[in-house]
Amino acid sequence: MNPNDENRSALMRVMRREVLRMLSQPVYVFCMVVAPLVGYLFFTTLMGQGLPMDIPIGVVDEDNTAVTRQVLRNLDAFQQSEIVEQYANFGEAREAMQQGKIYAFYYIPKGTTELALSSKQPEVSFYTNPSYLVAASLEYRDMKTMAELASGAIARETLYAKGYADDQVMGVLQPIKMEMHAIGNPGLNYSIYLSNILLPAMLMLLIFQVTIYSIHSEVKEGASKHWMEMANGNIYRALAGKLLPQLVVWIVMGAAYMVVLYAYWDFPLKCGLWPMALNALLLILVSQAFGVFLCELLPSLRWALSIATLWGVLSFPISGFSFPQIAFPAPLRALSYLFPLRYYYLTYVDQALNDLPLYCSWANFAALLAFMALPLLLPNRLKKCLLEYQYTR
Amino acid sequence: MKWLHNILEVFREELHNSIFDEGVIVFFFIVPLLYPLLYAYLYSNETVREVATVAVDNANSATSREFLRKVDASPDVDIVGHCADMQEAVNLVHKHKAYCLIYIPSEFDNALMSGQQAVVELYSDMGSMLYYKAVLSSCTEVSLAMNKDIKAQRLVGATDKQVSTFNHPIEYEYVPMFNTQSGFATFLIPAVLVLLIQQTMVLGVGMMAGEEREKKRRGILEPHVLDKTPAEMLLGKALTFFALYAVVAAYVFCVVPRLFHLIQIGQWQDMVAFLFPYLLACIFFSLTLSGIAHNREVFIIMFVFVSVPLLFISGISWPSCSIPHFWKVVSWLFPSTFGINGFVKINNTGALLRDVRPELIGLWIQTAFYAFTAWLVYYRSYGKHLKDSIEVAEEKLQARWAEYL
Repeated sequence: MNPNDENRSALMRVMRREVLRMLSQPVYVFCMVVAPLVGYLFFTTLMGQGLPMDIPIGVVDEDNTAVTRQVLRNLDAFQQSEIVEQYANFGEAREAMQQGKIYAFYYIPKGTTELALSSKQPEVSFYTNPSYLVAASLEYRDMKTMAELASGAIARETLYAKGYADDQVMGVLQPIKMEMHAIGNPGLNYSIYLSNILLPAMLMLLIFQVTIYSIHSEVKEGASKHWMEMANGNIYRALAGKLLPQLVVWIVMGAAYMVVLYAYWDFPLKCGLWPMALNALLLILVSQAFGVFLCELLPSLRWALSIATLWGVLSFPISGFSFPQIAFPAPLRALSYLFPLRYYYLTYVDQALNDLPLYCSWANFAALLAFMALPLLLPNRLKKCLLEYQYTR
Repeated sequence: MKWLHNILEVFREELHNSIFDEGVIVFFFIVPLLYPLLYAYLYSNETVREVATVAVDNANSATSREFLRKVDASPDVDIVGHCADMQEAVNLVHKHKAYCLIYIPSEFDNALMSGQQAVVELYSDMGSMLYYKAVLSSCTEVSLAMNKDIKAQRLVGATDKQVSTFNHPIEYEYVPMFNTQSGFATFLIPAVLVLLIQQTMVLGVGMMAGEEREKKRRGILEPHVLDKTPAEMLLGKALTFFALYAVVAAYVFCVVPRLFHLIQIGQWQDMVAFLFPYLLACIFFSLTLSGIAHNREVFIIMFVFVSVPLLFISGISWPSCSIPHFWKVVSWLFPSTFGINGFVKINNTGALLRDVRPELIGLWIQTAFYAFTAWLVYYRSYGKHLKDSIEVAEEKLQARWAEYL
């Protein structure tokens, strides 16, 4: 057999060996198939249509007139709010908020209607509990709109009485008006905002861990020499034989989240499928490469896995997809560039939301490629570890 | 008092095991020490200020310039550039030199003069909801203020009081309670701290159990386990983890919030009375789960990925009223769900112990339930079962010796 064929068949042997290992240990099936799918299912069903509906709120209506009841009925009709309880006084409503029964409440003091009708400017208040930030900001929006509308309704009556026409009324009530355009996510859908990064981030974390486990567990089992021999002593061939079968599974799992996000939920994908598919493929490859790099750096299963875990979990906040990176303290802003997820997120914003030409994301792609080259730094260290290290514990 | 002596012996052994195992040290001490610092530091600005914004002012009038000047002066928006046309402005947004765009069309002044509504268009990059929130709320505030003045001019001959009444027949006031600047750290950090306790404990305890099983498979059995009942083993270990985590919890819940000036308005007695069952529930939950830890590392991989879902399922970020029923039931399996909710209520909103009764009851039920399941796990591995199998093995060995001789 000529050496090329020999090498090829060595690679095939290692790949076959890896497939058998993956099938024989439940941890692989669990982490590569079950966990990602459960995760996808979890986040997308949790957030469903993307906006919480009928958030429970309370009311303290000390005035209790036909007018205030009408205002409150209108508030209840907002999709996102549901008045679940009327409280006799402020203290009771505050307690209900502390108990978590309601996320916000309206306070209408006694005499509000009377003062309003006699043009004496009464004041109503609304309280939210931003310890639950999402619920509180949505409630703030509804309650503020309601307050403006209630105010406007009374002013409108005044204007009609003065003989203003319909089209002039709004010009008088609200001379300057804001018109908001949320680029790429006009409905302010939270699932679009979060799931688009949460799903790939979870997959990335699992890839880190499985890659490291699959390499260093060989040492632990005392099988690493056998593995290297099978690859004719070439570390690249040994790694390729191990990681290619895994890559196939990861690509299927990556495709699965793209199907869930962009086909089933029909989330915005302005750039079309391919730029994001490329982005996802790069993230998968980088995650594998990063796992290999950690194995090279830390020749112990336990340590490599611990560091990968910490790095992976930290990726979620530091990629800046929920709390933006520009608001981090400067040292962490710098640190964020060491996390591959950050580049995936930036490309996602450029491509899927803002529909930029592909070349605009070149810097992100380049960064991911640089991460991918990391394992080339210390291959011999890993080889030595595989051939010589004795698992001591 | 043989049993007490036995429990203390297990306690001593386990304390020794956990303090001298570097892998366990990582999860029991290093992660709880560093993670809260990192997270709290990350969110220490609480909210995003001075979001870079570009403006296209096609009206270029005194009013439009006044509007932009006032928006620029507001704390959340920073106008970094004025562009001649939309194309130029959009380019800046695409290059991430700016995240929002304010467009004032040329009809702006005509509309104002003729008594129509003048429209200002706002565009926001949706890479983060906070950009959107910053530009919309700042511009709205400015427009409301300017509207007042414009209306005053339009209601010719009206007194100041009449104008004000006309503007707002009903005044309103907005009060965010407990997290007064609607900050991210105040909202997220307490939940992360509570979750961290459960997650690190599960990982550390699972690692130790995996270690023990690995040893057992290699025929190494700790000598001290043989004369103990499963209940003694269980209580001894529980005591160990409680002692360790009492220290961890004191750091996480007392020192960290103080370091970063996070809100903490609960009564300390309530806090202690609530965290006590939380620690117990976590301990027995961890000991139960450790029943499936067959080796040190597999357990880590299988459990870490649930951390983020657990944060979401607790109802702290996605409101619990909108969590589908199925996931809600799933969430009751984890001590973190009750732990996060109860702790946030006490710590952030100053709720009293009676206000968190549902969570408290949930935690005690979990403690009882997981103590029972943990006992089952220990009964299987240390109880009659094990001793029988050791006896069987010894008999076999002797039989073989007999054969050999």
